[in-house]
Formats: sequence, structure tokens, C-alpha cells
Amino acid sequence: MALDSWSLVAIFEIVVFLVIFPVLVFGWLMGAKGRNPIRDAPFESGQTRLGEARRRYMMQYYPYLIMFVAFDVVAMFLFTWGLAFSALPISQDYVFLVFLVVLVAPLAYALYLSGKPEFW
Amino acid sequence: MTWLLGLPTPQEILNLGVRIITSRTFLEIVFFPGFLNIMLSAAFLTWLERKVIARVQLRIGPLYAGMWGILQPIADGVKLMFKEMIFPELADAKLLMLCALGLMLLAAAPVVPIPFGDGLVIANMDIGLIYVFAVISLFPSVILLIGWGSNSKYSFLGGLRSLFQQVGYEIPMWLSVLGIVMLTGTLNLGKIVEAQQKLWFVVPQVLGFAVFFTAVLAELERTPFDLPEAEPELVMGWMTELSGVAFMVGFLAMYTKLYVMSAMITTLFLGGWLGPAILPQPVWFLLKTFLVASAVVIIRGTFPRVRIDILLRTAWTRLLLLAFANVFVTAGLIWLGLGGIWRV
Repeated sequence: MALDSWSLVAIFEIVVFLVIFPVLVFGWLMGAKGRNPIRDAPFESGQTRLGEARRRYMMQYYPYLIMFVAFDVVAMFLFTWGLAFSALPISQDYVFLVFLVVLVAPLAYALYLSGKPEFW
Repeated sequence: MTWLLGLPTPQEILNLGVRIITSRTFLEIVFFPGFLNIMLSAAFLTWLERKVIARVQLRIGPLYAGMWGILQPIADGVKLMFKEMIFPELADAKLLMLCALGLMLLAAAPVVPIPFGDGLVIANMDIGLIYVFAVISLFPSVILLIGWGSNSKYSFLGGLRSLFQQVGYEIPMWLSVLGIVMLTGTLNLGKIVEAQQKLWFVVPQVLGFAVFFTAVLAELERTPFDLPEAEPELVMGWMTELSGVAFMVGFLAMYTKLYVMSAMITTLFLGGWLGPAILPQPVWFLLKTFLVASAVVIIRGTFPRVRIDILLRTAWTRLLLLAFANVFVTAGLIWLGLGGIWRV
């Protein structure tokens, strides 16, 4: 009986689940219980809690997120290209390397425009 | 009552059970490359880390539980299992426990396509490399969920930092192994190991190795990139409000990840199970893996932490450009006709 890879992954995950889940339940049952307003407060270095933690945070480093979206898609396609690299004739490899340069050049230019030498 | 005759007899069910339990696949999943292996190795790594860090800081480390304190992880596990689980008043306790379980499931999953010996692998996947990257890229989402579920500011900041860290390290990590894919023309980890029989990939791919190792340090949230749980700033980061057995499972998941990523470095760059025949193949693999893990631990003992903007900036400039340089160098190697050494 030969199983395909994904069934094996599923069986493996089920084995992990069957061991870890009872451990969590066991810890939940065996551990001491009791409620106490001071102990139940979230840890804020000894201060009393200032409001909820689920509030608006400033979204920093936004340009990196935009670059990430672009590069993440491209990186996936690069793997399919890398698989075929040795099989392709040099002329077509060359075309793709030009594409890589086109990808890196705007990034380098953007970093140059930021005008911060420490970026290099 | 005739339909009862079509059912398997107890003897047949017993035989089937015996056949499954003694089958190679079952033994692999439950014992050696599978579950027991990663649990024991993760527990061993917690001990190794404490010992190595102790030596770096001129201390002795755990000493009393067993010889050289080697049973310390078991003592810790028993202690944590009987501890009270304290969750903050506004936290979602069920979500936290489910997320700890999910972390463990995710941390264990990448071990499936990693070969621990010639043919000693749970599933010989043709897309093993992509599978491992796909699974480990899910971690920051679960960590952010833990931070959000804790309803504690330190935890949430830790979760956010984990997410930003992924934005930094992931692209260089992917691109640094592209050279290996170009040289071997396969994503199957077993074939990648076989391709290194003449020369390990750490030699022709030294740039890729440097980038991948740095990215793995960021991926594992280890010093110098342990920003999501930077102790002086964020107490324990996203783990702050985990306690008792949930903390134990989350902590074990992080060490499982350390083990799995060390195994990935060994597989991709250090020749996997290859080695002189004086030792069995899995022993070579484990030796290399624990050496890599020790290197990661020693780096924790010696380097200071960087700021998150420095991490992002370094990843998007130096690491990314080095990874691209590695791709061009590899393309040059293949065009010069040197790629034949590593073809499978």
C-alpha cells in the first residue's frame, strides 16, 4: 500500500496532534486554578493596565511591505526558471538575467534616491 | 444477518493492525525521522543551549538531573505540566492554547521531506524545498495571532515585530537557495543531497550559504535577530502571557524549528547524510545538524541584538544583493561548463 506525500504529511500531523493535544488537556486539568484580579492582569512591568492592547498601532516600514509583495511573487517564478536553467539554451537564460537586472535596478535606484549612504 | 459475513474477522483486523504497526512507513513516522526523533532532539537542544550558553558565560549550567544534567528537559517538562496556567483577564485562553498546538504542528511539518539517510525519509517529495519554505512562512501569522489573543501590549508588539521580520528575511532566504536549484535542477531534498557527493554546496554556494544562514537566524528569531522576544524591551515578546503547559508547547515548537532549520542547512549546504562510511548515515546527519545548532547557540552567546529597522535595511540591501550576486555567480559557473559536477 503506497501512500502519496500529502497523505503521509496528514498522518504525521495527526500523530503529532494525538500526542500534543492530550498534553495540553492534561496540563489544563492538572494545573492549579483560581482567579485573582491582580494575577490576571496582563504584564506591564508592574504598572496598572492602561486600556486594551487591541487598538490601533502605527503601521511602520510600509515601503518594505510593498516591495515584499512584488518580490514574493517574482521569487516564486524564479524557482521555476532555476529548475529549467541548465536545460535552456544560453540565449534564453540571458533574457531572464536581463529580467533580473530590471528587477534589481529599480530597487537600487530607490535606495539611491533615499539619499542615505548608510543604506549601502 | 448475512451482511455480517462480509465484515473482516477480528483475526483479520488484528493482522492488518500488526502489518501497519510493523510497516516501514509507520516506524518512520512515529520513531526515527518522525515524531520521537524531533521531540527528543528538541528536548536535547534545550539542554545543549543551556550548557553551551553556560560555558560561554563561564558558568556550569544544569548539573543535578542525570549525568551532566541531561535529564533537565524532562524535569522542566514535568514541572511545567503541573503548573497553573495563568491567562490575562481579557485574553482568549482557548485561542492561546490552540495557537500553541498549531505552532507545534507547524514546527513538526517541515521534517517530512528531509532525508536523514539514503531513502530514510517520511515522504520523498518532489517539491520538498518549496514545501518546507511554504510551511515555515506560516509561523509569523500564528505568532501574531498569539500576540493578539494575549491582549497584552508586549505580546502584540512581539507579534508585529515577527511579521515585519518575515518581510525582511524571506526574500533573501528564498533567493539564496536558487543557486542550488539551478545547479541540481531539482527541488527534491534527497536528490539535492545526492548531488553533493563530489563537493558540498557550501563551497560553490558560499555566498548563498552566508545569506541563508543569516536569514535562518532571523527566521528562528535567534540573536542577533531575536526582536520578537527581546527580553530587555518586550519582557518575553509574544510568549509573555503563555504559561504552564501552553508555554511548554510553544517553547518546544521553537526548539523543534531550530532543529528542523539546522537540518535544512545540513541538507542544502553541508552534504546531508554524506560522510565516510565509518559511521552510519543518520549519525553523520545528526552530528552535522547538532554542530549547526551549536553554532546558532554560540552566536546567541556572543552577539548583541540589532534594531528592527537595521534588520530590514540590511535584509533589503546587503542580503538581497548578495543573494542576487550568488545567482549570477552560479549562472556563470554553469555557462563555464562547471555545473556538471552537481547534476543528478
